[in-house]
Amino acid sequence: MENVEQTKLRILREAIESNIGVARSSRVKPQVLPKHTPPLWLWGFLLIAIGAAAGFVARHQEREDVKKMVGAQLDTLRGIQAQKSIAYRAVPSLVVSREKDPSSHPASADTTKTLSPVGGQLLKAAVPFAAAYRINRAALPLTVRRIVIDPGHGGKQHGAISESGVSEKDVTLDIALRLRRLMENAPFEVLMTRQTDETLPLEKRVAFANTSNADLFVSIHVNWMEPREIRPLETYYVGATNDPAVIKLAGIENRDSGYSLADYRRLLEKIYLDTRRDESYMLAKTINAELYQSLSQINPELENRGVKMAPFAVLVGTQMPAVLAEVSCLSNEDDVKLLTNADYREAIAQALLRGILSYAKNLNGSEKSIADLWKKQTKLSASE
Amino acid sequence: MEETNETLCIGIDLGTSRSSISASDGERHVVDSYVGWPLDDMVARKLMKKAVFVGREALDNRSMLDLRRPLERGVIKEGSAKDEEAVQELLRHLISLIGIKQKSKNRGKVRAVVGVPAEAFRVSRQRLRSAMDGIADSVMLVSEPFAVAYGVEALLHAMIIDIGAGTADFCVMQGRYPTDADQRTLPNAGDSIDERLLKLMQEHHPEAQVSIYMIRDWKEKWSFVGEPKSRVTVTVPAKGKATEFDITNQMSAACESILPPISETMIDLLCRVEPEYQEQVRQNIILAGGSSLISGLPEALEKACSELGGGRVTVVKDPIFAGSDGGLAIACDATNADWQRLSL
Ligand SMILES: Nc1ncnc2c1ncn2[C@@H]1O[C@H](COP(=O)(O)OP(=O)(O)OP(=O)(O)O)[C@@H](O)[C@H]1O
Ligand SMILES: [Mg+2]
Ligand SMILES: [Zn+2]
Repeated sequence: MENVEQTKLRILREAIESNIGVARSSRVKPQVLPKHTPPLWLWGFLLIAIGAAAGFVARHQEREDVKKMVGAQLDTLRGIQAQKSIAYRAVPSLVVSREKDPSSHPASADTTKTLSPVGGQLLKAAVPFAAAYRINRAALPLTVRRIVIDPGHGGKQHGAISESGVSEKDVTLDIALRLRRLMENAPFEVLMTRQTDETLPLEKRVAFANTSNADLFVSIHVNWMEPREIRPLETYYVGATNDPAVIKLAGIENRDSGYSLADYRRLLEKIYLDTRRDESYMLAKTINAELYQSLSQINPELENRGVKMAPFAVLVGTQMPAVLAEVSCLSNEDDVKLLTNADYREAIAQALLRGILSYAKNLNGSEKSIADLWKKQTKLSASE
Repeated sequence: MEETNETLCIGIDLGTSRSSISASDGERHVVDSYVGWPLDDMVARKLMKKAVFVGREALDNRSMLDLRRPLERGVIKEGSAKDEEAVQELLRHLISLIGIKQKSKNRGKVRAVVGVPAEAFRVSRQRLRSAMDGIADSVMLVSEPFAVAYGVEALLHAMIIDIGAGTADFCVMQGRYPTDADQRTLPNAGDSIDERLLKLMQEHHPEAQVSIYMIRDWKEKWSFVGEPKSRVTVTVPAKGKATEFDITNQMSAACESILPPISETMIDLLCRVEPEYQEQVRQNIILAGGSSLISGLPEALEKACSELGGGRVTVVKDPIFAGSDGGLAIACDATNADWQRLSL
């Protein structure tokens, strides 16, 4: 056994060697902050900058063409819906098995509009968490340019698993890939946090959305709830909750988030000030309405539990309006049956698309994207 | 190591609110981490005869100074030349306190170990090194909690929690130089208590005229967590008239506000220790930093450990100098060859 003096000497050596590394490197390397330490200096960004940013942004002209494009998309979609003829491309059908080989779940053939975060540089540039900022909705013409779709769970993390063996991770990926395909002609860019069956910590999903300057973040999940008879539909945006069922759900969804408890508490402290929540609420409302409207036609027993608040990690950490939709319920075998049907999954994807489009349409579109606004504010506050 | 007459080893604790220096010739000093330059204003320039003010003096003359607290929130503020300069002035001042003149040909060698808040250690290492240029001959930077751990020889199965002004820095010592995974930083520390207490005062006693500096003084006298031992009353002007206020509840609420994040982080780190050593680490939790002087804090953290099977939390003997003394110990233990490689 090493004695104290020997331990001391060895640790001293390590300390010195690590310093010599720094002494040698001639220039300042861009520093990467470890995941558990959001930079403190970024947290102070507050209202001071907002006035200036608001003034700047408000001067921008409306952009009617974006509005028109969104409108046209919606109309086309309604047409598709009316015909009820759904074409699937490149989306593998769901395999109802627990022991599924991950490699049998390839990504969509089309990768032109996607960006996988895995291994990418984007993830390495750790991003500060959202600071609180206030947007006066009326004063700010905003538009949506880039959306991140986040298929819940993946890889080793199955999420909920139905009695018959359907994994949440497979359903969410399938719906997300469909949604991406439907969005091909949408006037905005679509990015996905994952497009294969891979394990991806929540924290990385958040970092991906933040670094890619997305304007909206939509996380797709499937619920699991007792009693088994219920078939709830819920859409969440960020907030605290006292509902024990929601707390339990948040516990399940936040597992393996990569955030420490303390990080988490700190993040939560911010959200009350954050008007990103207002936008998230609007988005959640439109998405939930669309989901209920179309799914209840196929599934009359669907129970609309509406828009709720919950402290899901992906909602807390993202800097843009963000929602998490629990599109069905894997604890209910009738829901599971529907989910194993591609038409139903396509209907969910379409409803999500409609929700996003009508949210985007209701923004008084301009060339200022939500992400730009955020960046602008960051710059202003940093130079404070 | 062999020490010659010309060589002086020093340990510096560069803190958000206070910085201290310990030297191998026995000198020890502490200053408030404030640096100020006279405002660009006729009156200020006339009254303020010096070019730069450091410490208490800067704080006392703040109305006429461009006052900087260069390490606020634990890092040198990004892209602020003024703050970098302030760090340098602060270091220069500390060195001058132990009687060393600016670097000159016939001066002896100065070997400095600078302990900085863990966050600054991660993000501003290079800049801190260059700030020491012209002040010391060789420099080694370490994270503050590591300096404390080295100084008290808590190198194996121990946890250091350095609760300062800007940050609470955690470091688990497992017989190796701590990596990022062994360390955590929280923004919940002395400053956040001050801010909370100020806010509570404004809410509950809006008529009381208080400043953040008064608040900090009260906290340093009467802070506590847990049951109050006596009422806390202060006398401050209200509508110009000296008035007494009972602030016991506000003091309690403000101080307790740092407990949940600190205990959660402590527990989280404890749970990450290899199971066979968890018990030993739990029995060896060491508090340092000015905010570790909050009355009742060790007991409250021990209580938080009880859900894991109990633990022992102690406060270092000399919280103000624990960091600089630790730095000095490192400086003295490093060899001449090491220092040569670390020269600026
Ligand atoms: N007796 C006391 N009771 C409570 N708090 C105290 C006491 N004495 C000092 N403090 C607080 O401790 C903090 C300063 O501690 P310390 O000198 O360790 O900080 P620092 O090293 O400058 O900060 P940091 O480590 O965050 O950079 C201040 O917030 C101060 O108000
Ligand atoms: Mg300190
Ligand atoms: Zn889920």
